[in-house]
Amino acid sequence: MRERKSVSARRPAAASGRKTPGRPKHDYSKELMELVVEAANSRVLPEFLRGFAERTAEMLDAEWAGVGEIVGSRVEIYTRRPEYPANEKEREWLAQGLRQRRPGLEVLPLKRTGQHIAFYPIYASDGELMGTLCMVRKAAGFSRAEEKLLAALASHAALSMEKVRRFSQLERSKKQWVEDIDAISDYIAVHDQAWKIVRTNRSLATELGIPPAALVGEPISSLRHIAETGSALPCPFCRDTREAREEYIATSAGRTFLVSTSRTRGANEEESRTIHVLKDITDRREAERRYRELFDSIQEGLFFATPEGQFLDVNDALVRMLGYESAEELLRADVSAHLYPTPAAKARLVNAIAERGALRNYEETLRKKDGGLLHTMQNISAVRDALGHVVQIRGLMLDVTEQKMFQSQLQRERDFNQKILNTTQSMILVLDTAGLISYANRRCYEAGYRRDELIGHRLVEWVESSHQKDFESALQTTAHGQQVDNLELRARRADGSLGHFSISLSPMRDEANQVNNVVVVMTDITDAALLQAKLAHAEKMATIGRLVSGVAHEVNNPLAAILGFTDLLLENPEIPSAAREDLQIILQETQRTKEIVQDLLSFARQRPTQKEPVNVNAVLRQTIKLRSYDFSSHGVEVSEEFEANLSPTLGDAQQLQQVFLNILNNAYDAIQESGNHGRIRIRTRRAEDDIEVAFMDNGTGVVDPERIFDPFFTTKQAGKGTGLGLSICYGIVRAHGGEVLCWNNEGESGSTFVVRLPAATETSLAAAVKEAGR
Amino acid sequence: MTATAMPRPAAAILVIEDEPSVSAFVRAALERRGYRVVQASSGAAGLQQLEAGSFAGVISDIRMPGNINGADVHEWIRKNRPQMANRIILISGDTANSETQHLLASSQTPCLEKPFRVQKLISMVEKTFGKP
Repeated sequence: MRERKSVSARRPAAASGRKTPGRPKHDYSKELMELVVEAANSRVLPEFLRGFAERTAEMLDAEWAGVGEIVGSRVEIYTRRPEYPANEKEREWLAQGLRQRRPGLEVLPLKRTGQHIAFYPIYASDGELMGTLCMVRKAAGFSRAEEKLLAALASHAALSMEKVRRFSQLERSKKQWVEDIDAISDYIAVHDQAWKIVRTNRSLATELGIPPAALVGEPISSLRHIAETGSALPCPFCRDTREAREEYIATSAGRTFLVSTSRTRGANEEESRTIHVLKDITDRREAERRYRELFDSIQEGLFFATPEGQFLDVNDALVRMLGYESAEELLRADVSAHLYPTPAAKARLVNAIAERGALRNYEETLRKKDGGLLHTMQNISAVRDALGHVVQIRGLMLDVTEQKMFQSQLQRERDFNQKILNTTQSMILVLDTAGLISYANRRCYEAGYRRDELIGHRLVEWVESSHQKDFESALQTTAHGQQVDNLELRARRADGSLGHFSISLSPMRDEANQVNNVVVVMTDITDAALLQAKLAHAEKMATIGRLVSGVAHEVNNPLAAILGFTDLLLENPEIPSAAREDLQIILQETQRTKEIVQDLLSFARQRPTQKEPVNVNAVLRQTIKLRSYDFSSHGVEVSEEFEANLSPTLGDAQQLQQVFLNILNNAYDAIQESGNHGRIRIRTRRAEDDIEVAFMDNGTGVVDPERIFDPFFTTKQAGKGTGLGLSICYGIVRAHGGEVLCWNNEGESGSTFVVRLPAATETSLAAAVKEAGR
Repeated sequence: MTATAMPRPAAAILVIEDEPSVSAFVRAALERRGYRVVQASSGAAGLQQLEAGSFAGVISDIRMPGNINGADVHEWIRKNRPQMANRIILISGDTANSETQHLLASSQTPCLEKPFRVQKLISMVEKTFGKP
């Protein structure tokens, strides 16, 4: 400070230059009291501070006095004597001095006027520098009394400034408060005991279209059209005036309010106030109503539950789903234990939620009230608090019992179908309409076909070429939606051999009823076809046998009479020789007829006349010997391939010889006819339970192998045979429990005859011995 | 001539045969050789004759219509006229028949197979029943 010069404050007080005439020397106590009263009545700080400065000047005989109030970074100077500061420079210097913190009185000389300036700080009760009292005097020193006075004045100023500050702050905050209340969009109405409106906020007044002040003093009942609770009280918002607080919903046409009421009790009746805050919750109520409606009407189960799984709220659908009467029943604490078939299931759910927070498509089986099981699918989410702890779980539950049952039924059906497909003895294939194989069941692979030679290949490739056309046309028929049953054709087996197959083709349709696949069921009926042919043949032969037997028997009676009477006639010596010759012819022809009938009976014979062990190889050798002369003289080569130690068969060696002889004769005749260099191979072997004798010749072959054993079926010239030879063979072999077959050799000339006779077993041998002993 | 000097008429041969022509031929052949013949046209008629009188022997067809066939006649004789059991000749039209074969094999009864020659009939009758 440029003019600053320390001056002792202890200088004895000098008489002040300026004096108020007629006024006694200062009575400080009285003047201070007056000051206090002034201060108490003062509401406006600047005026008070000016007055205060003036009084200070008077009391301390100063030429000038002022109070500097520190307002933020500025200093406001209050004084009634404008002569100081004289210029801007002085003002600035003064302001700086006023702003300075100092412990107590400071006096500085003023060079320009030779006066002195004194500063005394004004501290608030909390130690804040609120301002500085300042004066200009001639005298530099202050007496002790003056200094004390200054201190008292400063503290008075402080008190007043604090009081006014607080007061104005109060004023400000009161105004602010009203503004705040007015800013609230909720309606606020305050009324007194006399049901008169004391105050409303701007929102309410704006709603009514009038200024807030206009409502004051009006009866509160005038607000009835906004909303009312339906009570009989004059106030539409009061229900129970004894309650200090109330909260309820009040409605009016189309609007819903949450009314919060507070009552303040004043010292007396008049000061009691009732404050209503009306919050418009129309939208919220609507949202809530919609939510609740959705909650209750939705078909999926909804629930709120504790983290432990105890239901807190459930919707109707969930109640129905679980078979309970009401939500209340389902919310009972003991239900939760019943709900989970095992405690582990519940623990698993609770843990999963705690771990993952949300579960999507969580499958859980719950127990209904009646104990039945409910398959559910749930979507659950956890609600967590600020610390991350799960406080609630919410979820949606679907009843998937039907789907589950449908699914398992489907699974069962699929398994069942799969089993059928896997265990059937038929090969089942699925072809597309182009005939490509897309599926083959297990049987196909068991039959030896490989996957890579079936899937993606045309099935027709396996069909024998002469039958491919049939197959293709059947496939076409099926592709047009028609079923084809029991198509019999030859196809290649996995091992390359040809088999006889029965094939059925069925169309398989897609959703649009279009044939998109063909199911082919193939059964290898080779064995069955053979058996059937054999059975049919045996049946035919048996029928012929019965016929022949009957005819033979009937023929024998007249034949017996013819033969007998012819004999008797020939005994008669009176018969002329010419007639005798005729009778001889009758006799011969009768004999011939007799033989034919005998042959027919041999064919029809059901059992061999003898039943003894027969060594087939030995019988064959004897038979060949019978014809060896003819064979060798005609260059027919006979090879024997006999299996050693062949089991015997049971039967009549004579009859069997007849059979072998007949077949050999037949072969010989066929060779003679063909003109080939004759060759007959005779092979014996054990074939399962049979002894098999095969005769293979290179003759002309047989015209009709199917009919070769039929009686009177002969291709030989008339007179060369009766056509009964092979029929007799057939009869004999059948009577021995065997079979005789004939076919033309494949790829070479000639035919093959096979005789199969049952090999004797220990049991059959023992039975034969017993029979012979009878 | 005394009554005793008169040769006692030999007992007749009973011929049981349903076929008239066969029966006639057998009768003619036998009578020419001096045999007496009684004819029966069925098994039942044959048994009636057998119960009523005694015969030198019985020639019976095996297969006959009616309830009683040759095998039954054979069986009846074996039981009721055991002295006649080896005085039976059977005639068969059907040796292929298994029943017939069994009967013949088990009883050792001589059998004529139709058709048969007169010589064969006479020699079998003489051998079995003796000469007239």
